[in-house]
Amino acid sequence: MNKKYAMAYIIDRCIDCKACMVSCKAEWNVPEDFFRTHIDQGLKKELHGKFRMDFLPSQCNHCDKAPCVTVCPTKASHNREDGIVYVDRSRCVGCKYCIPSCPYDARFYNHDLGVAEKCTFCLPRIADGLEPACATTCPGNVRVFGDINDPASEISMVLGAAKENKQKVWKLREDLGTLPNIYYIQK
Amino acid sequence: MIRTRLSRRRFLQAASAGACIMGLPVLKVSANSDKESAKSGVSYSQNWCEMCFWKCGLTAKTVNGRVQKLEGQAKCPSNYGKLCAKGNSGVFQLYDSDRVKYPMIRTGKRGEGKFRKATWEEAIQYIAEKSVAIRDQYGPESFSLFAHGSGEHSFMNLIEIIGSPNIAIPAFSQCTGSREIAWAATYGKPVGGKEPVDSDNSKCMMMLGRNIAEALHVGEVQDFVSGLSKGAELIYVDVRFSKTAAKANQFMMIRPGTDTALLLGMINYVISNNLYDSEFVKKYTKGFDELAEHVKKNSLEYTEKETGIPAYMIVNACKSLAKAAPSCYIHPGRRLSRYGTDVQFVRAIAVLNALFGNWDMPGGFYTPVKYPVKKPHMVSIDHHPTHDRADGAGTTFPMAPKNLGLANKQLEAIANQDPHPMKALFSYGTNLFHHQADSALVEKAIAESELVVTCDIYMTDTAYYSDVVLPESTYLERYDPAIVTSRKEGYIQYREPAVDPVHDTKGGWEIAELISKAMGYTNHFTAIEDFNYVLFKEAGTTEEYMKKHGCIVKAVGEPFPRAVGERPRFFTPSGKVELKSSNIEALGYSALPEYTPVPRPSDNEFRFLFGRISYHTHARSQNNAWLLALHDYEVPLWINTERAKKLGIKNGDKVRVTNGNNTSGELVAKVVDYIHPEAVFTPQGFGHESTMMTRMSGKGARTSDFCSNETDPISGGAGLQNGFVKIEKV
Repeated sequence: MNKKYAMAYIIDRCIDCKACMVSCKAEWNVPEDFFRTHIDQGLKKELHGKFRMDFLPSQCNHCDKAPCVTVCPTKASHNREDGIVYVDRSRCVGCKYCIPSCPYDARFYNHDLGVAEKCTFCLPRIADGLEPACATTCPGNVRVFGDINDPASEISMVLGAAKENKQKVWKLREDLGTLPNIYYIQK
Repeated sequence: MIRTRLSRRRFLQAASAGACIMGLPVLKVSANSDKESAKSGVSYSQNWCEMCFWKCGLTAKTVNGRVQKLEGQAKCPSNYGKLCAKGNSGVFQLYDSDRVKYPMIRTGKRGEGKFRKATWEEAIQYIAEKSVAIRDQYGPESFSLFAHGSGEHSFMNLIEIIGSPNIAIPAFSQCTGSREIAWAATYGKPVGGKEPVDSDNSKCMMMLGRNIAEALHVGEVQDFVSGLSKGAELIYVDVRFSKTAAKANQFMMIRPGTDTALLLGMINYVISNNLYDSEFVKKYTKGFDELAEHVKKNSLEYTEKETGIPAYMIVNACKSLAKAAPSCYIHPGRRLSRYGTDVQFVRAIAVLNALFGNWDMPGGFYTPVKYPVKKPHMVSIDHHPTHDRADGAGTTFPMAPKNLGLANKQLEAIANQDPHPMKALFSYGTNLFHHQADSALVEKAIAESELVVTCDIYMTDTAYYSDVVLPESTYLERYDPAIVTSRKEGYIQYREPAVDPVHDTKGGWEIAELISKAMGYTNHFTAIEDFNYVLFKEAGTTEEYMKKHGCIVKAVGEPFPRAVGERPRFFTPSGKVELKSSNIEALGYSALPEYTPVPRPSDNEFRFLFGRISYHTHARSQNNAWLLALHDYEVPLWINTERAKKLGIKNGDKVRVTNGNNTSGELVAKVVDYIHPEAVFTPQGFGHESTMMTRMSGKGARTSDFCSNETDPISGGAGLQNGFVKIEKV
């Protein structure tokens, strides 16, 4: 069976330290003011004057039905067999259609190179057997990366255990039918 | 659901340049030409991170002579393979165009920012000639040094060679000093820089203003997250809802400066409701009955009134800790330079911990395991300073250690030239204008000095006022003597350069040796290589091993001796945990932890509070573009919603703080419900005066312009949080 790369965030472990964002920037020379992954903060006021603050990591969801792939006029953005949505820089003409098409706001325009840019799941870093840079550096061990078609992979086990323990497992905006591949695990 | 991420800075740039960008032909780069496929010329080198002071082990990846990426060493117990945002941004710092690139000698007035480029020979000669003249005229004790960082011993040795005792490590008086004194008074030893709290196995953790998730040290936070994920309860006390609060089961917003009252109330509740470990108390502590009597006045009603925390929450906290005991702890804190009453505050923490019997127990406190090795000396010094310290460490403040000194008192001694002339001021890796309490006093001290020398990698505010600025190589460009560290295991860490110096810079050891020789001293400075050779041989390892792994770990001791039946030893006068401290009593202060109310701001003022955020260290990292991009180059000022409303300030407004003497640079109002109305908060380390820190010069508030300069009478440590400010819109 083909590999199918995916990532799971155990978001209760996230402390919003932004190490992932900077590690990714270093790995890929991401232009100064942009990041390929983010952590957002949500704050709710609950009963009795209590507050609740949640941290939400995000990046390209490597969707099976990716709107960015659909709108790309040059087929620069494409779904690889291993599940990664990849931008072929030699085909990208910088038309930017893909940027607003992404419901996850995962893309930006690289002004220096004139191409659309986003997370590649650290291809080809992962080909050397390493984890993506964000997962490697994460002090909270939030991020689990791997092949969900392999039942022995860490991500498969983590997702299996989450299901067994009746933890919440969800994805972002599944209602849009994009079939994203980033899993959120929460107690 | 996700906000658009086009950064404000980029948006402004794009808007102004939009028309021409749109007309430009698109630059295309083939996938083959970018580094995603480049593999040639890859090398790896070992190091420990110097972006903060936790010293995470890291491996630097260098591609074609350029450092590309830093990654944690998987087996280093400081960080087990992980790095934080600051650590990851070390690459940017290395190649930052704002670094000091060559030695500089001042040409204008101090603080005017006018320098000329100098050669190393010139700069060293200049320092040596002036130093010799000052030494001969005023005596060796007129030299002072403020030093911090892995290379600090280089300049410390230089000043010792010259013969001055006036060497201050600001990490004591400005940071952990009062904590260490209080802990030693109770348990017979200080907490230590790598706090031995066993968060990993803890069932209940309580923190008072110890914002562990943001004032972040990787190893410590890993244990913290691991403990939480295993179900540990977190009780968090602060004046604002920080990212640590986000992880808390119970967040208690406290009125600033009343933490000791809270703790005494808890001690009283724990004792009067028999929630303490009576066996531990009986066997290992001294002064319990007097303590019980002493805290009787701290009823729940009084505690609630004083702290603003509802009584039921206080009861819950006591019960949770007692239920988890001994697998629980109350964190001793990190920067304990708060209100000038910090020894008594930490004494209360120490005492409450003792009541839960968590010493040397899993989930409580562990005993760091030492790597059994004797460190050789880098420099042979055959004489000791004959003079007393000018700052009173060891004399006026008998409990303050002479080897660390009191940076706050040393600065006063220089500014007032009292008790004797202090004419040569050296700074290694420190920044007086940011870690000291009073910027006016810093200016006065510099004005009184005939020679001011700074060794740093950036033109910091202190460098900006210096006569000579000596550019140091960053940690990625230099060797340093290997370090020996203790956590649950003992380990040794290795540093080697990842690249040759990018600019005309040198390491601290080489610089100190050059100055020493130019002054005519013949003391032998050991080559770092030789030092390492001896150390590694003693430790049973080799340079080859260290080059490959960066870190050698030896687990040769038990971090929880009491849990395996060993009797703990306390090096206090009584040999017991001193709930009532005889050392403090001997100094004439309350031997039982005591609460002293702090001054309060008037109705139109705010208490000026500051601290670290997840992605900046002290005043060192605020020019790093990779980190600045994380917060859009804006410096927040947290203000309570109700108070802001009265001042007509809305979220996102540009504001300044002022205290009559000083007015800050621009801050961005972060108007929130979850900060105590009495206080404002801003991240430390902004408000740089130096125009050569180009990205953030003038932005934000320099804390030394607004904080207080209290002195804890027992430790001599600083108290920075009694400063009051007003807010005005820009």
